[in-house]
Parts: sequence; C-alpha cells; structure tokens
Amino acid sequence: MKLVKSIVRPNKVDEVRAALEKLNLGGMTVTEVRGHGRQKGHTAIYRGKEYDVTLLPKVSIEVVVTDSAVEDVIQAITRAARTGEIGDGRVFVLPVEQSYNIRTGERDAS
Amino acid sequence: MPPLGQSQGSGVPADRTKGQLASRLAAIRREYVLEARQGRGGREMQSRYAAEMDAIVRELVEGARGLTSQPLSVAALGGYGRRTLCLHSDVDLLIVFERGIDRAEARFVNAVLQPLWDLQLVVGHHVRELPDFDQVDPENTEFIMALIDAHPIAGDEAVFDAVRAHGGRLNTGLRDALTDSLLLLVDQRHAQFNGTLYQLEPDIKNAPGGLRDIAAARYLRALDPEAFEAEAAKAIDALQDAEQFLLRVRSVLHAEAGRDANILTHELQEKVADALACDGDTSRRRVETLMGAYFRHARATARALSRTQRAVRPSAGPAVQRLVGRQFEIARDGIRFVDAAAAASRPSLWLEIFRLAIAHGCAVSEQALDCIEQNVGNYGPDDFAGTEAERHQLRNLFYPRPGLYARLSEMHDCGLLNRILPEFAGVHGRVVRDFYHRYTVDEHTLLTVRGLESLWHPATASRKRFGGLLQELRAPELLTLALILHDIGKVEDTNHAQESVRIARTALDRLDLPEDARHTVDFLVGHHLEMSNVAFRRDLDDPHVVERFAHVVGTEEQLKMLCLLTLVDVEAVSSNTLTPWKEELLWRLYVDTYNHLTLGYADELVRHDPAGLAVVISGRPDDISETELTQFLSGLPRRYLALFGLASIYRHVRLARGIHRDEVHTVLENHDDVWELTIVTLDKPFLFSNVAGVLSYFGMDIHRGQAMTTPEGLVLDMFEFADAEAFLRQNPGASAEICRMLDRVVAGRIDVPTLLRGRERSMLYRRRGGEPPRIHFDNEHSRKYSIVEIVADDAPGLLYRISRAVSEQGCDLDLALIGTEGRKAIDVLHVTKAGRKLAESERIALMDGLERVLETPDETG
Repeated sequence: MKLVKSIVRPNKVDEVRAALEKLNLGGMTVTEVRGHGRQKGHTAIYRGKEYDVTLLPKVSIEVVVTDSAVEDVIQAITRAARTGEIGDGRVFVLPVEQSYNIRTGERDAS
Repeated sequence: MPPLGQSQGSGVPADRTKGQLASRLAAIRREYVLEARQGRGGREMQSRYAAEMDAIVRELVEGARGLTSQPLSVAALGGYGRRTLCLHSDVDLLIVFERGIDRAEARFVNAVLQPLWDLQLVVGHHVRELPDFDQVDPENTEFIMALIDAHPIAGDEAVFDAVRAHGGRLNTGLRDALTDSLLLLVDQRHAQFNGTLYQLEPDIKNAPGGLRDIAAARYLRALDPEAFEAEAAKAIDALQDAEQFLLRVRSVLHAEAGRDANILTHELQEKVADALACDGDTSRRRVETLMGAYFRHARATARALSRTQRAVRPSAGPAVQRLVGRQFEIARDGIRFVDAAAAASRPSLWLEIFRLAIAHGCAVSEQALDCIEQNVGNYGPDDFAGTEAERHQLRNLFYPRPGLYARLSEMHDCGLLNRILPEFAGVHGRVVRDFYHRYTVDEHTLLTVRGLESLWHPATASRKRFGGLLQELRAPELLTLALILHDIGKVEDTNHAQESVRIARTALDRLDLPEDARHTVDFLVGHHLEMSNVAFRRDLDDPHVVERFAHVVGTEEQLKMLCLLTLVDVEAVSSNTLTPWKEELLWRLYVDTYNHLTLGYADELVRHDPAGLAVVISGRPDDISETELTQFLSGLPRRYLALFGLASIYRHVRLARGIHRDEVHTVLENHDDVWELTIVTLDKPFLFSNVAGVLSYFGMDIHRGQAMTTPEGLVLDMFEFADAEAFLRQNPGASAEICRMLDRVVAGRIDVPTLLRGRERSMLYRRRGGEPPRIHFDNEHSRKYSIVEIVADDAPGLLYRISRAVSEQGCDLDLALIGTEGRKAIDVLHVTKAGRKLAESERIALMDGLERVLETPDETG
C-alpha cells in the first residue's frame, strides 16, 4: 500500500477529487494547508506597503491505495491539477506499513 | 440463611432474581418505547420509569443489606433524582455510609452495582461517608448541584436527612462561589455552540435553551432564592412547558437511537415530528412545525436563564434608576419605559429604546420587551418607516457597533424586527439542510451582524486588516441592511441571491433609500456569493480572474463592503467554517482586486466596454446625441461607468459642451455636510494642483476626488470636500466666488502659488504629527502610466503640494484617485512624462520632489 499525498492549488481541488472518485479508491482526506514550493510565494503590495505572502494557501489531498493503483492515481492528480504555471504543486508517494479500521479493528489487506 | 434469591454470602442476587430484574426492566422499557413513539415520553412516563428503576435498586439494596451493619442511604441524583429519567440516561446513584467504608461496605456496593451493570445500565455512582459532607469542596460544583436533586431510594432516612441537611448548611460565601462556578460552566457550555440556540441539529440537552439550561436556572434559584423577584420566579415556572416538550423529544431520540442520544439530527427530526404528531401535510412541513416549536421553547428557556442570571448577578450599573430623557430610565436589568402603558401605543419609542440601549451599552429590560411583544401585533411596517425621520432613525439603528447583534436579537425575539421588515419574517426559524450550515437562516443572518460588529475590536492580527476596511466605509449601515436581507430569498430552494434581491425590493421601497444607497444594497444582496466563489474556487494567480471580478464590483467601496459581507457570511455558517486559510484567500482576492481597481483601471477605456456603453446610449435623453455621448465617453476609463449613475453621466456631457482652451465649466453642489465640485476643462500644466490649491485657499478639506484626462486632453475632475472653515456656509455669494476664482486660475490670470503664499505658513503650523508618509512607485501595473501611491497623514493643502510637485518635475498628472480614511490621505496618481511612463532617472527625481514636499510643506510656495 502507498500513501499518495498531493499538494494542489485550492481551485483545483474539485477537479482532483472528481478524477480520484472515478478511480473508486474508497476514501480521501482533504486538508487546507499553507506553504511554498520552489517559487517561495511572492510579495504583494497594498497601499504602497509590501506584505508577505510567502506561505500560499494550498490544498493537501491524501489517498491510501494499493501499489498497483499508484501510477493511475498520480496520473489522475497531475492531469487534473496542472495549469502549466509555477505553483501547480507536488505529488508524494510514501509506503504504508499497516492500515486498520478503527470501528471493527480489522486490518486491511496490504 | 442468605436472603431469599441470593447466592450464599455474596449479597449478589441469584440468577433467578437477576432474570426477574431483567424482565422487569425490559417490560418498562418496552412500555417506554411505545409511549415515546406516541409522543408521550414526557414527565409522567419518565417519572414512572424512575419509580420502576427505584424498585429495582431498592430490591438490590434490600438483598445486600445484610452485608453491612452500618446505617446507609442510597439515593438517586441528577435527572434521575428529579424523576426525569430518560430511557437510556445514566442511572446516577449516591451511596452514603454513616461512618466509614470497609470491606463489608465495599461488598455491599458491589452487590448493588454489579447487577445493574449486568442489566447493561450505565451507572454513575458516588460512594461517600457521611463525614465527607462536613467539608464541601466548592470546586466540585456539579456534584453539589446534583445533591440538590437527590431523591432517597432505599436505606435509612436519618442518613439521607443528614446529607440533605448539609446542603441546607451552605454558607453565603460558598453559595456565592457555587453561583460563580455554575455561571462559568453555563458560559463554557454555551461557547461550544457559538452561544446560539438556533442550531439546525440541536443538542437538546447541552445546547443553549436545552435541558441543562433549565436545570441551571433552577439551581441558581435554589442557591439564592432571595435574589428572585416574583417576575423572575414566574419565568422559571414557565419552563415547565419547555421542559415537558424537550423531555418528550428526548424520549423519542433515545427510543429511536437505542442509546443516550441527545442530538436532534435531520434524520431524527422526521421521526420526532411524526411521534409528536406535528402539523403538516408533508414530512418537511411537519419537521418545520417541530423545529418551530423547538425554537420557541428553547428561546423561552434561554430567556428564563438569562433573567435568572441577571437576578443573581445584576450588572454593575447603578442601583438607583437613572432617567434618560423623559420616556426612558436605566435600571439594573436594562433600559425601561418610564410609562409602559403609554409606550404600548407609541411604536416610535420602541426603536428609540433599542438605539439608547446600544448607546448606553445596556440590555433592553424585560419590562420593555414584554410591552413590545404584547403590542407589536397592532402595528405594521409603515408605522416604523412612514416618515423621513423614522426612516433616518431606522438607518442609524443599523450602524454596526458593539451591542447591535444583541439588540437585534432582542428585537427579533420580541417580534419587532419581523414587523419592521416583514420580508425577514419569511426566514424566521427557517431550516435549510446542507452539509455546512449549523443555524437557522434568521440566526445565521443575525450572527453575520455579530461578526461585523466584532470587527471594531478584532481578536487577531489577521482580522485586524478587515477591521480597517470597516472603519473606512462611508455608509456601513448599508452593509448591515444588506446582511439582514441577503438570505431572505431562502424561502424557496432556488437561486436564493436573486430571490433575495426580488423580495428586498419592497423593503428598500419602504425605506426610501437614495438611489446610490439602494444600488449598493441591491448589489451586495445579489452578489453575496460571488466573492467566496472566486476566492475559494478560482485561480487567483490568473489576472483575468481578478480583472473579471473587479468589473463585477466596480468600485473600491463596493469591494470593501462585499469583502466584509463575505467574511462574516462565511463565519456565521458554523463556528469552524472560516479558517485562517480562507481568510487569507479572501484577503488576497481583496488586495489584487483593490490594486486592479486603483492601479490598473486606466488601461481599460469605456470604448472597450460595449455593453456598458450601450446601456448609457440607450438611456440618453433627447438633447444628447449618440455621437456626442460616444465622443465624451470613449476616452474615459471604464471605471467611470461604475462610479457614476446615468443622470450624472448626462450632466457631465452637457458640462463638457463648447469647452475651449483656458475655460472651465464648473458645478458646485451641497449634499448634507459635503460639497461636491465637478469641473470640465482642457488639460494644461499645473491644472490639477491649481484647482486643489484654490480649494485649499478657501479652507476646504478635500475628502475624496477623481481626476480623469482623456487622450484628447479633456479633463473631468470631481472633488468632495468639507467646508472646514465655514466659508460657504457663512457667505451667501461664496459659491459663485469660488467658481470665479477657478475661471481666473484656469485662464492664467491668477498665480496660485502667490495666492497661497500667506496660507502656506499657517498650514505648516497645523500639520499633524503621526506616521511617516509612504510613497510607492509602480511601473508595472499599468501599460501606459507610472503610478505613484502616497499614504500620508492628512493635512490642509496636502493634495495641492503633492500635485504641484508632480507638475514641477514636468510630469503630466493624467488620472488621480484621492481618498481620505480617517486622518490618513491615500492618493493614487497616474503620471506620464512626454506621453510615456517615467524612466528611472525621472522616477528618482519625482520621488525626491515628493519626499521634500511631504516633509517640508512650506517650501512649495
């Protein structure tokens, strides 16, 4: 199993979600986050005064999937979240050792 | 021999007895479920269930009695003690031994509790020795309160009486501490629900207006019975109805959920509505009837608790009543009518009492609220907005300031708000089911007002920037009005923003707002979803997104209002909807749009807005030809159409007719305390600074202004100013004198620096200290113009000095946005030199010149 964690633009969350739902993955976690990638945000000016927007609002979407589904998931996310501009985000893939259902206590098949 | 039905020596009942107890419990529970589903799970059923539980406990106590020789008492606590034991509620027991607890007593406790646990009951048990009660721990408020409800079940009467006697021996200091502690617990509990009872899926036990509030009101009264006037005591008695209703509802929740469920979820609302036989031909109508009844009872409970709180802890106001005018007096429970009988037939006093309550920072008393509630049905909306004075009074009431939410809530609760704005009555208690709204539509609306008033004292640095916008608004009362109206279209499940605009029409007709104010409210109501939609769902890095949104909002004033409306609207959805993340997105959209409106607007001319141009052409009066109109407009920035209504545009066209070099056409008008000067002329060096200089010469305090120059050299300037030295007010011919002076200045017959030389020195002495001025140069935002943005402490003649410095550098001041916010002047100047943006050396020279005049105002003359 793998945890696929993506950081995308806030306005792309609906498209990414729709693309992932088409893959019938079971569940996902969506979190409002702030951060910066290589572009390190930018400085905005309001009434002649600079203010820092280094930490840009982004959305983190996490899904846990079987190893065989990872490629499809990455493709679905990148296709849905890409604009071609700086700030499109990142996808990370992490190994998941074990997974349990809290209600039943059952361990999920890896 | 062990007692009958018990296993030898343990005191634990034999299996046969356990079986009998289980059957007995199952039988009463079956009966309970049947009764609950018929809507009869109220006080009587719960009392019967408590009595049956008593019998079970009593049997166990009697069975285990032989295990200890000590006198003891077993009593029911909390709701069980009050004889309102709900189907799956905890069975709270107090077991008290007269002396100490040893192994024999432990066996006794085990013999009583074990079978109860085996029956799958959730038992809350307190085991104490009688001497424990000699020292009451005031920290343990909930236990002490539970003792007030203690009801003996089994054991020795003398032990129970001794426990009770301890309750009666609470000294005054302890009672005070308990009262404080209880009030704090109530506040903490309410805070979990954002302090409002109007929850869409209420927790009928813990939420404001729920069963715990009823218990709290009774506890407070029990702790301090002398503090209660007959009036407040009566209110507590009125809680009987509310309690009976909530008990019936709770019984259905327990019966349907099969556990201790207290949240009236959407799903269970339908079941409860059926069980309580609520009126309605559809399931939805029945639910609305149920929730209407729920909110009525919850409101009565909340009001009774609030009365009780005021009775035990009166506000720090004067003990002696104080007269306010001839009609009102301020007492400890708030502002009252001096003569309630007379006030009953004078609705103008009703609005006044709310205004005074806000002004004096106090509540409206129960006496006044009762008086209004009893008589409000005799009056209609025209009785509150029939005359200009009444409409003015109403508008002023909506000015957002601390206390407005609380007073509007009181107005709503006593029925006055719905009388004044019957359009709002359509969403009274309105339930809209979705995944995110937590409150009824009317309460959500009032909570937006609470959010707005809280911006006067922002809790966080992030919120402070929004607070700054509120302070800058010219007519913030219009924002409150728009908030009250923004969701009134939610009576139907359609596009509610447009429906709200439609319904609001009658309200706005009745309030007879000036055209521009009405347009603002219409805009805000109709577009109230727009900004959150763009901020949270569109790509803010895309300049076209910002550009399109800027066209929708049109002006900075509307942008600020829509931004604040969006902020408080999102915040009032539920306590966790407005995250710092969303605040940041909203602020970013605000800043980008503000910059577009103030810095980038000059690149877009009216000729690029065929739709806007068509509207102006189609409405033109007969004396203006299409050609004349198009020629006038085409070189002006597109923003011009957003700033002015059609009537003003046509007036400007007429003003521009037949203008020649060195001539100026002027109109000087007065609106309330504000004067407005409009001039049309042809461009020439130092023109803008000369006009600003003339206004300064006559002592005018310029608040805001617009200066626009078309590529063809036509200049249209508007200045809004205050007659700071009363020159216009005190001199009948002053208006004409200013216009004559402008004629001569534009014609070049008067030199403005010479004219002002005498005044410059006095300006220097009146200069206010404060933050250092900020000058920002921007060569990026506009394709055609260099932009200079200046933020400085406002001072007489400031605009004259700034604009003159620009001209002295050989720059053309093509467009200008002049604003003041409080004591701060915010000027945005679009400049060019020889028709081009400024080069670096020119920028340095201009900045030097500006810095000099901002630091040393006397050198410019």
